[in-house]
Order: sequence, then C-alpha cells, then structure tokens
Amino acid sequence: MLHERELKVFVDGTTHFFEVAAEQPASIGSPYLMGEPLALHEYSGVIEVSGRREGVVCFTAPKTMLAVMLMKMHETDFGHETMRDLVGEVANTISGNARRNFGNDFRISPPHVLCGDTPPIEPRPGARTFVIPIHWRSHSAKLVVALS
Amino acid sequence: MSPAVPLDRRTALLIAIGVLLAAALGTALGTGFRLATRLREDIAAVQTASTLQAYPRELLREVSGLRERLEVRAYVGRSLATLRGSTHDFGVRLRALAAIDHDPAQLASVQRRWRGYRDELAPVLGFRGEPYVDSDAAATRLSGDGHRLYARIERARLYALANARGFDADLATVTRGLQSSASAAATRLRLLLLGGVLAALVLAAIAAWLLLSRARHARAAQEARERTRDILRTVREGFFLLDADHRIGPVWSDALGRMFGREDFAGLDFRNLLAGLVPEPTIATALKYVDLLWGERANENLMKTINPLSQVEVKSTDPLNPEPRYLQFDFHRVTGAHGVKYVLCSVVDVTSNVALARELQESQVGANAQLDMLIGMTRTDPLQLASFLDTADAGLKLVNAILREPARSDADFRRKLGGLMRELHTLKGEAGALELRGVADRLHALESRVSACESRPALSGDDFLPIVAKLDELVEYLRGIREIGARLARTDAEPAASPADAIAPILEAAAARLAQDHHKALRVECSGFDAIPRPLAKPLKDCLVHLVRNAAVHGIEDPDLRRTRSKSDVGLVRTRFARTADGYELTVEDDGAGIAPDAVKAAAVRAGLITEAEAAAMDTRAAIALIFRAGFSTMSEVSLGAGRGVGMDVVARTIHALGGRIGVATSPGKYTRFKIHLPAAADAAAAVA
Repeated sequence: MLHERELKVFVDGTTHFFEVAAEQPASIGSPYLMGEPLALHEYSGVIEVSGRREGVVCFTAPKTMLAVMLMKMHETDFGHETMRDLVGEVANTISGNARRNFGNDFRISPPHVLCGDTPPIEPRPGARTFVIPIHWRSHSAKLVVALS
Repeated sequence: MSPAVPLDRRTALLIAIGVLLAAALGTALGTGFRLATRLREDIAAVQTASTLQAYPRELLREVSGLRERLEVRAYVGRSLATLRGSTHDFGVRLRALAAIDHDPAQLASVQRRWRGYRDELAPVLGFRGEPYVDSDAAATRLSGDGHRLYARIERARLYALANARGFDADLATVTRGLQSSASAAATRLRLLLLGGVLAALVLAAIAAWLLLSRARHARAAQEARERTRDILRTVREGFFLLDADHRIGPVWSDALGRMFGREDFAGLDFRNLLAGLVPEPTIATALKYVDLLWGERANENLMKTINPLSQVEVKSTDPLNPEPRYLQFDFHRVTGAHGVKYVLCSVVDVTSNVALARELQESQVGANAQLDMLIGMTRTDPLQLASFLDTADAGLKLVNAILREPARSDADFRRKLGGLMRELHTLKGEAGALELRGVADRLHALESRVSACESRPALSGDDFLPIVAKLDELVEYLRGIREIGARLARTDAEPAASPADAIAPILEAAAARLAQDHHKALRVECSGFDAIPRPLAKPLKDCLVHLVRNAAVHGIEDPDLRRTRSKSDVGLVRTRFARTADGYELTVEDDGAGIAPDAVKAAAVRAGLITEAEAAAMDTRAAIALIFRAGFSTMSEVSLGAGRGVGMDVVARTIHALGGRIGVATSPGKYTRFKIHLPAAADAAAAVA
C-alpha cells in the first residue's frame, strides 16, 4: 500500500517544477485508482523505483501543454527534442524530490522519456496505481504512481 | 561569491594608481615647466649673443668713422653720442647675457675683452672738449684736445682691430654653447613629454584593467548572489545562521518561512522562533546546546548525539491541518580566522519519515487485526462473505468512479462528497452487520476523511489524496480477505437459492452487534424475504441494513427504560416483505421509543438544515420527513453505528431511484413503522441500475 505522504512527495515534486520553472503553480485534480489501461499523452517522463518500493512513476503531458510551458520559460525552440528534454526535466525534478524525501530507501533510476504513440499503461499486478490529474492553466497532464 | 576584502583591495589599488598618476603628471608638468623656462631663456640668450656678435664690428666702424670725421674736421658730437649709445647697449646686453648664460666660463673671455675695449673707449666717450680750433690763417685744425682725442680714438681703433677676431670667436663660442644648451633642454623636454605620456598611458591602462576587473568581479558577485538566492529559494531545508546572542542572521532559505508560517526571521531570537511550538524545557535545553557549540573544544560529531532538537514534534499553526509536524534541527559551526563566527542551523521536515515509521508500527497492528479478521471470518457464513465482497467490490468501484470524475473547482470537488458518503456508509453498515470489524473500521476511517472535507472552506485535489490513499488501503484489505475467504470456502458449498437468502442473517448479525455496542437487547424478525425478486435483493438489503440500524440505535430503548414503559427487556424489530396488487411492500417496525417531532426539528436546526422559524412552522409530517434529509442525525457524536446523517438519506434515495415511496407511522413511546411501497416495475429498474 502506498501512503498518502509518499503520494504527496511525488505530487509536490511535480507541482514544484511548475511553480519554479513555469512561474505559475499547478493544481491537482481529483486523484483516483487506475482500474483499466490508461492512455498516455504525447510525451511522458518515466522514473523507475526500486528498494523499499518497486514500480514506476510517470508524468505524461500533451504537446500543447508543453509548448505553453516552454513559452513561459522563454524558450524559442518548440521542437521535438526540446519537448523531450522538458518532460524529462519534470521527471528529474520528481525524482530529485523523492530522493531528498525518501533517502536511500528508495533507489530511483534516471528518467527516460516516451513519446509518440506509446501503448497505454496497464495496471501492474501486485501494485495499486494512482492517477493524479495535474492542472496547469487550461491544460491537464497526469501523474501516474504505480508502486508496490 | 567573491569575498568583500579583495574588492576593497582593488579599490585601494585603484586609488594608489590614481595618486601615482597624479604625482607622475605633477612631476612631469613641473619639470617640463622648468625645462621650458630654461629653453625660453636659452633662446633669448642665443638671440642676445647673436646681437652682441654684431657690436664689435659696429663699434669699430663707429670709431673709424669718428677718426675720419676728425681728419676732415667734421662735427663729431653726433658720432660720439652714437658711440656712447652703442657702448652702453653692448654693456647692458653683455650683462644681460651674463645673467642668462649658465656657463660663465665661456663668457669670461668676452667680458675680459670688453673690459679692455671699454677702458680704451672710456677717454673717447668721456670727451667734453672742443676738438677744433678755427683760424683764418690755417682754417680749421685740431685743437690740443682734438689731438688727444684723435690719439685715443686711434688707440681704441687699433684695440678693436686687434680684438675683432677674438670677440667674434668668443661670442660665437658663447652662442654655440647657448644653442647647445637650448637644444639639450628641448631634447629633455621632448623626452619628458614622451615619458609622461607613456607613463600616463601605462597607468591609464592599469586603471582601466582594474576597473574592468572590478566590474567583472562585481558582475560575478551579483551572479553568485543570485545563484545563492536561487538555492535558498529552491531548497526544501530551512537554513539560517545564529549569532552568539541566538539571533537569526539576515539570510535564510524560503523553506523556513513555509515551515514556520512567518517571514520575520531577521534578528529573531531563536527562543522566540521555537516559542509556542515546542515545550519550554526543550527550548531551554536547545539554547544551552547552541551555547556549547560556541566552545571550540566541544566535538561537533559527539554533540550531535545530544542534540535536543534532532527530532522534535512541533505544534501545527495551520488551522486546516492541525496535525503536529516533526522537524529535525541540525547545527554546524561556521569558523573563521578568529574562531566560531556563526552556527549554521538546518531544519528538515521529517514528518513523512516519522509517519512512515509509525505506519510500520501500524502495519504490525494491522497484521494483528488481520488475524482477528481471519478468526471473525471463520465465524461468518462464506456465502454471506462472498456476497458482501461482491457488493463491496461494486461499491468501491463506484467510489473510484466518483473520484475519477474531472474536477477543478471547489464546487466540482464538493459535488463528489455526497455520493462518496452514501456509498461508504452503505458498505459500512453491511460490514458491521457481518461483524467484519476491520472492514467497518477502515470504511469508517475513509468516511471520516470524506466528512472532514465537508467542513473545509475550499476544496482542492490535495484534500482527496488521503481519501484515495485510504481507498487503496481498503481495496487491498478486501483483496486479502477475498484470498483468505477463497482458501477457507468449502468447495462443496451449496450455492444460495437467492441473494435474498443472505439478507436475514445479515440483519440478525447487525442487530446482535448493535445491541452489544449500545448495551441494548433486541431481536429481528424477518418474513417474506424469499419473495424478494433477485434484482431487488441488493437495494433492499442496503435499505434494511440502514433501517434496522436506525431502529436499533434510535428506536429501541435500553432495558431499564423499557421496563418503566411496561415493555419486554428485549426490543423487537419486525421486517416483512410482501407482494401487493400493484407491486411490493416492505415493512420495518420496531417497538421502541417512536419519533419525537420536536426532537427531530431541534436536531435539524442544530445541523443547520432548517431555521428555527421554519421549524416552528413545520407540522408533524414535515418534521418526520426531516429524518430522510442528508446530514440529519439526532446523535451528537459519530460512531460506527450512526451519527453521520447518511443512512436514512441512502434509504430515501434508493427507494426513490426504484420509483417507490416511504410512509412513516409512529407513536411516541410505542413504535415506529416504515412502510415502503415499490411499483411492480421496480425490479426492472433495479436490474438496470
């Protein structure tokens, strides 16, 4: 079972990125348990967790949202690579925040990025999967926490 | 960041260069002025010497002219006057030259010759007599004075002739000497000017380099300050410096503000920072500990082991989140050339870690509870358990579906609460009826989380994180039960003829548990349940659980009171299902205290459902109808059995959804009867639902 405080660490890592980098805080929507496969957006940053918890944490966002984020960050390049970097940076921030809060009990992999048509996330056997909508301006992304 | 001292040194160096530059320029200008003056004097001297060179020949010409005038007996007065003027001029210019010339040795020869010349001319120039004698016989002839004058003129002329070449040579030598001196002065002046310009250029270049370097350092210092500010803004730890008087320095990380809910840290006494958050004795010990750090002999690593603030519980200052937090203070000496300068304090919010440790302990307790659950399950009919697990599974899926509905605003989030409460309360009632205490407790905890949201002034997704976490915990718990149940289930168990068969045992078990919990005695009679159509079994079971619980908690009196009312000690709840001409009828009747309309109205006013004026205007029928309103309860405290004001609301909604109606009859002190009428099509409606 994943505790609320652990969830909050991942959520805070995500919203903190928006607050600092995109200069506008993000809010979270109504969180729920993933009961069926979840389709990913165009860009997803994934970190794998091992140690006291096993599983993955994924930040998935639509291209339009990333483009507006880049604009707010005064970037002029809205290309594919820049968007990959951005979503990877969000995952990196989540990872750093988790490391800081959980210490050595959590081993967290460097983030990797998925983009384009990727298969939906399947519920992991033995792990409950939480889906937390992330709202920023008029856009929505999702934070998926699947840990056992 | 560059330290301040080198910057001051750079400034001092810049000032020193400025002073040197000024001194060099002053020296160059002074020397140049002297050289220019000397040059001007030398040039004037050269001009004087050049002029003087013409004088010896001029004097010779005038002396010769004077002699010739004497020979032809012409008038000599004017010539004498001219000679006197020339002689005077020569003397004056020679003295002037002597005053200017910087090499008197060269001029000495000229002066010596001149003195000789002047001595020879002196009798001529001093002549005041009459040089001629006029006589008719001899015409004009020289007088005695004239002869003497002639002789002196001749001597002077001969002296001039003899020294003419020497004069020329001496004056030429003087002129060359003066020209050479002027040329040397000019060369020195040029060199001085060139040197001054070069020195000025070098110093200016050094000054420019220093200025650029200073600007570069200032820029680097500014960038370093900005980076430090970024770090302090971003880090999650609270950092600040303490001086020897326990006062906080002017720089701290932003996280400190979030941790302590204040921003006035500059100069704040450490004691005041902790005041009200931790007990006074802990503060006193902490201050002594910080004082020890200022003693350089104390071993910092050893001192960490006695840090009184290594993990301290801090009272919450957030009214919306009153749970205490746990902070970890760490202290490090910051030393300089003269010993300890400050004590660096870092503060980390370790509430998560403490909570995790606590969870570990709780999980141990949970394991024990699971054991209890296992024992309880062995006492529960497997078919009832399986039926409950199916119901719970469906109910929790519905709860998750409600959570999944998109929400951004307070209104969106608040809309979810009613649906969540109804589903959870229904499941809790059934779990309680089956004596699945672990499930009921978890549902109660989840319900409490939802209920806590109702009182919050503004809702956001953060408020739902604990709900979804508790839901996950419950789902996991139920999965465990299902696995254990599957192992325990008899493989040869007879399948129930109808889901309705499970209702009576559930109600009986619920009644028994409620009687125990509320120190009452009661029994439930069930009849006609075999006629309940399969589609209606689930919704009617939910309603019956709530109605029986309502009767047990609110209707049936405790045995002492029943005796005073001439009733049996054991209360009776009768439930009956029957088909009617136009549908179905479910009756739930208890022989308890009945419903007191005034008590219902007073409770509704307390709950804020109606105003006192509305209550006063309400008739008995309307007052009794209040018990079906969401949020209504006559209980002042929430318990596993009742108090949230959800159960009767669920009954009303369920019956309404089935197209039925509820009638209530009551007599204070005697009975309460709920009569539910369902249309014939209700089973079809339930099947669709």
